[in-house]
Amino acid sequence: MGSLRVTLNLESPVPAYRQIADDLRRHLVDGRLKPGDLLPPIRQLALDLGVHFNTVALAYRLLADEGWLVLKRRRGATVIARNAPRAVDRRQVDHLLRQLGHIAAQLRSAGMSSRQIASALRRVAEGAQS
Amino acid sequence: MTSAAWSMMLMVTGNAILFHAIPRVSRPDILFAVTVPEVFARGAGRALVSRFRAIVWSGAVAALAIILLFPSPESRSGPGAWLPMGVVAGNMIVALAAWLWAHRKARAYAVAPPAVRVASLAARDTSLPGGALVAAGPFAILLATALVVYTFRGEALGAPGTIEPFQWLAFGGVYVAMSLVMAVSMARRTRQIAIDGPAAVAEERYRRVNVLVPVLIGYGVAIQLSAAAVESIPAFAGSLSGRSWLMMMPMMLVNFGVMFWMFRVGQGGQRAVAPAARQEIHGDATPDHAWKVGGLWYFNPRDPAIWVENRIGPGYGLNMGNPRTWLLIVGLILVQMTAARLLF
Repeated sequence: MGSLRVTLNLESPVPAYRQIADDLRRHLVDGRLKPGDLLPPIRQLALDLGVHFNTVALAYRLLADEGWLVLKRRRGATVIARNAPRAVDRRQVDHLLRQLGHIAAQLRSAGMSSRQIASALRRVAEGAQS
Repeated sequence: MTSAAWSMMLMVTGNAILFHAIPRVSRPDILFAVTVPEVFARGAGRALVSRFRAIVWSGAVAALAIILLFPSPESRSGPGAWLPMGVVAGNMIVALAAWLWAHRKARAYAVAPPAVRVASLAARDTSLPGGALVAAGPFAILLATALVVYTFRGEALGAPGTIEPFQWLAFGGVYVAMSLVMAVSMARRTRQIAIDGPAAVAEERYRRVNVLVPVLIGYGVAIQLSAAAVESIPAFAGSLSGRSWLMMMPMMLVNFGVMFWMFRVGQGGQRAVAPAARQEIHGDATPDHAWKVGGLWYFNPRDPAIWVENRIGPGYGLNMGNPRTWLLIVGLILVQMTAARLLF
């Protein structure tokens, strides 16, 4: 995982732990982080990002709850082969679609056409296939 | 001229050389402990460095002139004896004042810390250089010496004017252990600023060389105490006299070499990296406002780092705002005091 990185924007309204989890999830979904890969120890990543250890621990726990990681004492976090959820979580999907609607509206107000937004979404979705 | 005057002159000259070199040690975009655009540091900032150096050398020349014109008396008493000491202290104050002046000037060009922080997910080598084998070396030396002392215990303990070898060897073991704690803490609790490429490689190399220093200090202590312990055995008395410094020579040479190298490559080894390879790096990932007394102390309770790159001089310093730093300091002092109380 040569140049894989996590980015944290201090001016973003998104909480730090969620930004870290989102970045890691993107790498996991893209397949750049593969089962068996070790993530940096919580303290090391927190140190490099200049955030509290609990912030990184929370991000790791979030991904562990989603089934991407297994957290072990001393060994840190390891990526595991994740089984796709058997049933679609309707509530979560609705929530995410609502967020997507907000983003689409923001893109429209920023000047993008519906076609451009659809094309961009397709690119994002295809890039996210593992 | 007295030997005291010579040593004062040496101190004044050494001080001037040190202050002359210090602006050159920091990262390329840190000037007088302030994060500035690298373009400024390489351009207009050089004029500021020149003026700072001019003040430092003027102070040194004035101090040397006073020492030469008003030689101190041979006797160590009387008001005249304090003159050289006062001159050296004055010279130091001039250099520090020049630093604070340049620091204040540089602050006008300070850049805000970036809002975006980036960390690499790549594995990092946080082990000690040479691994457990090299770390165990000083303990092996102390243990071997203890065995020799034990073998000759009848002679050694009864001989007059001996040191108490076992106590000193045990204390040496505690000291070496503390040096290793420092080394491990430095290896694990320093921040990686460059993400990848030659800048990251240079930074990692710089960290490992710094970690090596406390390990070598452990070797130095073990060798010195072992030499003293062996000398305390009548059968070996005088066998090392005048030669123990020979054993310390390689250690001193390595330390001198490390210091020279650190001045040459700059903090994080970044002055040895081409500007194109460190375009993504700005400063040392610490906010300017957390550096106190012109960049001497780092106090940032919001920073989880225990060790941060110094802004004055080479190597790493402690984040005094982190409670874990105080745990480390107090822990090391307590261990040392307890060992001294139990052993002596």
